[in-house]
Amino acid sequence: MSYPRLPALTRRAFLASAAVVSASTILRSQARATSVRAFHLRAGYGRAQIAPEPYGQTPVWCYDGSLPGPEIRVRQGERLRIAVANALDEETTVHWHGVRVPNAMDGVPHLTQAPIAPGEVFVYEFDAVDAGTFWYHPHHRSFEQVGRGLYGPMIVEEAVPVQVDRDLTWLLSDWRLTRSAEVRDDFGNRHDMMHNGRVGNTVTINGRVPDTFPVRKGERIRLRLINAANARIFGLDFGSHEPVVIALDGQPVEPHAPEGRLVVLGPAMRADVILDMTADAGSQVSVVDRFYEGLEYRLVDLAYEKQPLRDTAPDWPLALPPNPLPEPELATAARHEVTFNGGMMGAMVMQEMGGSMGEAAPGGMMGGMGSMMNMMHSGGIWFVNGVAAEGHIMDPILTLARDKSHVIAMTNATAWHHPIHLHGHSFRVISRNGKPTRHREWQDTVLMSPRERVEIAFVADNVGDWMLHCHVLEHQAAGMMGVFRVA
Amino acid sequence: MRTILSAVALASFVWGTAPALAGEKDVTLYKNPQCGCCEGYADYLRDNGFTVTTKPTHDLAEMSRQAGIPDEFQGCHLSFIDGYVVSGHVPIDTVEKLLTERPDIAGVTLPGMPLGSPGMSGVKEAPFEMLEITTSGTIGGVYARE
Repeated sequence: MSYPRLPALTRRAFLASAAVVSASTILRSQARATSVRAFHLRAGYGRAQIAPEPYGQTPVWCYDGSLPGPEIRVRQGERLRIAVANALDEETTVHWHGVRVPNAMDGVPHLTQAPIAPGEVFVYEFDAVDAGTFWYHPHHRSFEQVGRGLYGPMIVEEAVPVQVDRDLTWLLSDWRLTRSAEVRDDFGNRHDMMHNGRVGNTVTINGRVPDTFPVRKGERIRLRLINAANARIFGLDFGSHEPVVIALDGQPVEPHAPEGRLVVLGPAMRADVILDMTADAGSQVSVVDRFYEGLEYRLVDLAYEKQPLRDTAPDWPLALPPNPLPEPELATAARHEVTFNGGMMGAMVMQEMGGSMGEAAPGGMMGGMGSMMNMMHSGGIWFVNGVAAEGHIMDPILTLARDKSHVIAMTNATAWHHPIHLHGHSFRVISRNGKPTRHREWQDTVLMSPRERVEIAFVADNVGDWMLHCHVLEHQAAGMMGVFRVA
Repeated sequence: MRTILSAVALASFVWGTAPALAGEKDVTLYKNPQCGCCEGYADYLRDNGFTVTTKPTHDLAEMSRQAGIPDEFQGCHLSFIDGYVVSGHVPIDTVEKLLTERPDIAGVTLPGMPLGSPGMSGVKEAPFEMLEITTSGTIGGVYARE
């Protein structure tokens, strides 16, 4: 498809008209933006002070010698031209995670472009269609390239952003460090692949193990959280504070308090959170990651300065303007099934869930144990509709009619969590285990719990072959990816 | 901060003191925090008279390696029982045999998670082969077959 190039001034008019006419028709008729923002990124080797003194610097792979890579920040509607130079000793690509780019700019090796060879440059060019919090990372051997530090934030500002005192990005990641603070070399080991991926022993915010984070009473912060970890799921508890989620995966959502006041982010997911700093001046409040039971830890302390900024929280509006996403029509949508299998205990779960896999599931999924054993014997660990991917090139598991609405019912018939990412599109999460979701949130990566069934809906308005994969990068490397075609 | 410090400290604690502290019937079982079957195995050991403490960790593969078990022979959890390491869903008869015979090995491993093994559901498809972990940190022969 051709993408909307929205001058900021026409956005409001565009949004109004999008309600009555097919949005994608509108998108194609937009005039080109004149403004092009040029960026350069160099993927290479560097060193970073990840762990605090007295630990030394850690050798990492990173962009432009900085960890995380430089923040790419543009206004909605601007066109980006990003020249990526490869100074690594191996091939790479860059995927602009969550950004609805044309297929050739999506950064998937072999599927959408030839990998960037060492010493070569590839120029990506696309429009910032949606405002929001995005990130970039390699899609080539990502389980190691991302795990060693290749990632950075990409922020697309709204024409009229919500009013806050500070707009901050916390890129969260984790590392598996040795006692001398070097990255442990066991990438892609079988244990990680079969269980929940490479979860590290050291957690960083913006590339450093944090200690305290200074704040002021009465201050309102827009905190853009990005989970860039290979496999770690975060469940952030902000103590006495009451975070309000205003966007998920870059897309605005009705402002709401997260369930249990815990901001849960699977790998690759983002959340924009409004934090009113309501504790006492001079006090300290810990942010605790509670996702894994028995392994809770203090991520960082919010340290209040002695002077308040104001006495009470501001009452400024919280809602973000919507992005130009076409609304799927559920009544007429084509329905599709995607089933995930495999991993440790996979045979057991598949046996238990045998009755709920659905007759429509292809690949002899109803064969239960026998077919699971066949899958296992194929050498793969994780399977999408019965197939374990061995590379980025494969026959599509789904073909979606262009500009039509589609519902994909996804079943996680495994014992593990999976953040499932679709390229080229954002989708509404419309139900979980048959129950409608409260916010019908737009996401590009949906975290599925073990044995969970999730329905997503979207208009397939972006032509091409796109990845659908688990963003636990070890799961992806061990087969958990497929291609869907929009044609 | 403590994120790395605690991780490193935990690792050194494990290897420095945990086996020495353990009594005959005391078991420390390290497991993936999200793995339910490992709890099933812990209950199985409890049913057979052991006192089991389960500890979640994200570092199981490295801990298993340090215990002398290469990646392809690792079970999905790691137990320390009376001076021996027992990796995976090893049946109780083999554990008792190990503690009675007290062979000069580091322990035993049942790689993977075979269906029908203790803590696992499903039907046993073939005899379980428990492999020796030698004191020099390699895989020896079959210690027991059940």
